[in-house]
Amino acid sequence: MSARGCARRRARLFAAVLFLAAGVPAAAQTSATRAYVETLASEKFAGREAGSPGERLAADYIAAQLSRLGARPLPGRSDMFVPFTFTAGSRDGGSRAVVGSTTFNTSKDVIALSFSDDGEVSGPVVFAGYGIVVPETQNFGYDSYATLDVKDKIVVVLRYFPEDAEQQTRGVLARYSDLRYKAMAARQHGAKALVVITGPRSPNAGLTVPMSFDTALAGSGIPAASVSGAVAAALFAGAPKTLQAIQQELDSGNPHTAGFPLDKITLSLKTSLVRETQTGRNVVAYFPATSPTAGVAKPWIAIGAHYDHLGLGRNGNSLAGKDETGKPHLGADDNASGSAAVLAIAAALGKQPVRRRNLIVALWSAEEIGLVGSAAFVNAPPVPVNQLAAYLNFDMVGRMQDNKLAVQATGTSPIWASVLERANVAAGFDLTLQEDPYQPTDVATFNQASVPSLNFTTGAHVDYHKPSDTADKINYEDLDRIASLASTVVRRLMDMADAPQFAKVEQSSQTAGRTGVRVFTGTVPDYTSNAKGLLLGGVVGGGPAEKAGLQKGDVIVEIAGQTIANIYDYTYALELLKIDQPVKVVYMRGSEKRETTLTPGARR
Amino acid sequence: MARSLRRPALVFVCLLSAAVVAAGLLAGLEAQSPPAERDFLSRIRRLTVEGRRAGEGYWSKDGRQLVFQSEREPGNPFYQIYLMDMASGDVTRVSPGTGKTTCSFINPETGDVLFASTHHDPRSKQLQDDELAFRASGKERRYSWDYDPEMELYVRNAKTGTFRRLTNKRGYDAEASYSPDGQWIVFSSTRQAYERPLSAAEQKQLETDPSYFADIYIMRADADGSAPKRLTNVPGYDGGPFFSPDGKRIIWRRFDEAGLIADVRTMNLDGSDERQITDFGAMSWAPYIHPSGQYLLFASNKLGFENFEVFMVDIEGKKEPVRVTYSDGFDGLPVPSPDGTQLAWTSSRGGGREGQIYLAQWNHQKALEAIKNAPARKGPK
Repeated sequence: MSARGCARRRARLFAAVLFLAAGVPAAAQTSATRAYVETLASEKFAGREAGSPGERLAADYIAAQLSRLGARPLPGRSDMFVPFTFTAGSRDGGSRAVVGSTTFNTSKDVIALSFSDDGEVSGPVVFAGYGIVVPETQNFGYDSYATLDVKDKIVVVLRYFPEDAEQQTRGVLARYSDLRYKAMAARQHGAKALVVITGPRSPNAGLTVPMSFDTALAGSGIPAASVSGAVAAALFAGAPKTLQAIQQELDSGNPHTAGFPLDKITLSLKTSLVRETQTGRNVVAYFPATSPTAGVAKPWIAIGAHYDHLGLGRNGNSLAGKDETGKPHLGADDNASGSAAVLAIAAALGKQPVRRRNLIVALWSAEEIGLVGSAAFVNAPPVPVNQLAAYLNFDMVGRMQDNKLAVQATGTSPIWASVLERANVAAGFDLTLQEDPYQPTDVATFNQASVPSLNFTTGAHVDYHKPSDTADKINYEDLDRIASLASTVVRRLMDMADAPQFAKVEQSSQTAGRTGVRVFTGTVPDYTSNAKGLLLGGVVGGGPAEKAGLQKGDVIVEIAGQTIANIYDYTYALELLKIDQPVKVVYMRGSEKRETTLTPGARR
Repeated sequence: MARSLRRPALVFVCLLSAAVVAAGLLAGLEAQSPPAERDFLSRIRRLTVEGRRAGEGYWSKDGRQLVFQSEREPGNPFYQIYLMDMASGDVTRVSPGTGKTTCSFINPETGDVLFASTHHDPRSKQLQDDELAFRASGKERRYSWDYDPEMELYVRNAKTGTFRRLTNKRGYDAEASYSPDGQWIVFSSTRQAYERPLSAAEQKQLETDPSYFADIYIMRADADGSAPKRLTNVPGYDGGPFFSPDGKRIIWRRFDEAGLIADVRTMNLDGSDERQITDFGAMSWAPYIHPSGQYLLFASNKLGFENFEVFMVDIEGKKEPVRVTYSDGFDGLPVPSPDGTQLAWTSSRGGGREGQIYLAQWNHQKALEAIKNAPARKGPK
């Protein structure tokens, strides 16, 4: 549950074996998908990063194609663009540090950490070593604050973790050396601000921490900044040893090496962070039913795919090798392929003489940074979500190998297996059905909204999230076949008298898996929230959270005595929980503060 | 692959009505078929998707339908029989829906569906509920096929949809198939164990492994089933009989008395000229002759107790069998399409413990070449 991108990347990489390149059959001359993929994955769109000019161009192209196919803007709208805002990144807004009488105010010397709160503080300063607190549950015994009183003081810590410790120790300490975690530890010990130094014995010695891509959202609850070696020298001016010597002592990993007050100097710190909000655009259109829908159960069906990708790969989700950094991530498979499948289905079904239900065709943006576009749609739905009979998603469907097609989220309705079996007899795919709807793609959004959903995918491959995911590697023949199979399914859904029943799938603790967390709480965080605390996007059916009475929309503000300001706090707090040991959870339901008891289960 | 060993004779029925228990394969896309498999099979795909398990798909004479057994009837944890239209994909249940069924076959002339069923047993609903309750309790048992003596042969009229009961004897009557002209039915039955007094040892045997008493019987398709002719009379489970494409011989498998080793055999319709075709010293069963009549396909666990693979061998069994499938877990119950260009079989390659029916294009020419090039079979015939 660290950065969303990481969770997503990991899930995908684990989800499928990396296929090595194999023969790609020559595409049929009249491919229904090839032109879409080649256009969307062209250099012109520069990787379609949400909010970028490339994304805007791609959206324009998609809307033009939908118009050409006869789709219309949704009722009450004049065009197909549905904009939404999201946090795209942060920059420093003029942070500064005053040590004694020396003012440091360039970004070379002082820069707010991407999760800092804005503020201006001054007061006593304490050096807390690496600022690492390993939870007691780890039976490890490392606490940089063990002998220090930092309450209402400014804490100075080193970046990273002890450099010379043996590998196993480093492994443990590294897990708790994330700056987010250090900021939380400082705050929880009562510190009023955190200052980070990159020590002289560490990589990037003396440099400030560059502003990272951090679509999050809520801050860490205290001002937090990194400072240069020059500032560090000023801070340690009256210290008994040089910073070099101090760090060397700490670097052994000896847990008894303590920090100390920097009482010879005064520090005044001002942090200012400007969070950049950007606008992304979903492209949403529809084909109206051909007959009145009065009396039709749930008269809407939606198909969708995200069309955004990683742009130049600067946001941390890129897996580009060193020789390809900064190149456009063209995203032919991810997800020009799914977008093309959706357009091909729209082309086929737009010509359908009879449609009992309205067909929504949606191309999402900002999927790559956390399913933001589809979430924006569901949170402010142009059509009531409970009027959606089904949602079909397509993500990475262009690299079929050996006739294998995975269909995910089949547990969201008892109807799916029979619908897919029937449609596939003629289509002839080697189907793999996965019940789990908790997938790192937009299908998860609709599952959370209780819409029977499916996701089609041909899985990950060596070019995943790399600039080498290019249009020439797409298997167009089979991509066309997938669109054709899905058209059959959608046709059937449009004509069914009854809407499919929704079934809630219990999230297996395995797929809930977040590295480093051993307990299972069954909470589904809403990654798109700016709320203080942890907003629940849902709870896993049958999971501990549901049993504790928590529900979608609740905001967890405290768990097991740990205050929760954001999702990162929450993740770290989970480290402290013990399996089968009930803990108190404080949460907000609307404006009402409530308490409950949650008993974590075990991850397998 | 640490699942405990099961008594194989308890597991495999007609061909294999029992659950296919394979290693817990990872679901997903990682399983790539090895090149050797692609020599004979192409466009491999999973055919049945719905339900917990499915298996034993048999073709109609024109190849437009496939009849199979699947656990997919709500409220019934046992197999029922389904007919799939290979053009539209429509699937229809053709068995009554209650009780246990197994081992279906389509009459080549009339399209009637032959199968074994216990639905006349008044306990059927209770047995279903008991099994569901057992599953809900979270306990797991090793699957065992019980050779229910209530199992009787039925035929469903293709035109009227009505059922006609063909057998009426205590004992397990199942594993039936039609002759190519639709005039004869060959099947497996344990009836002899219920017709005569058993010794104490035999009685104990019946309680622990009734399949020991199963033998092959033949009868007219239009007969009332009262007096089928018994073709085998050897201790050990004789089952899974089919006619050869020319209708002149019967192919089946026989287990040894201990129920551990099985081999494929053929005989004339009157039980004469019995020949043993396979000799792996393993469990070789579920034979089916390719419509060319030149070779047969069967399943064997020669390569590992729970790793069943499909093999093929010349019709006389003179050559060493050639391996066809290369996949962990279960691959068996091979049934070529009537035109010989496709193969339907049951496999656990899609993941999990349960089998589903798979379909692939069958390369007949390469199969002939491979059989021709296979070395002569060594050892006793």
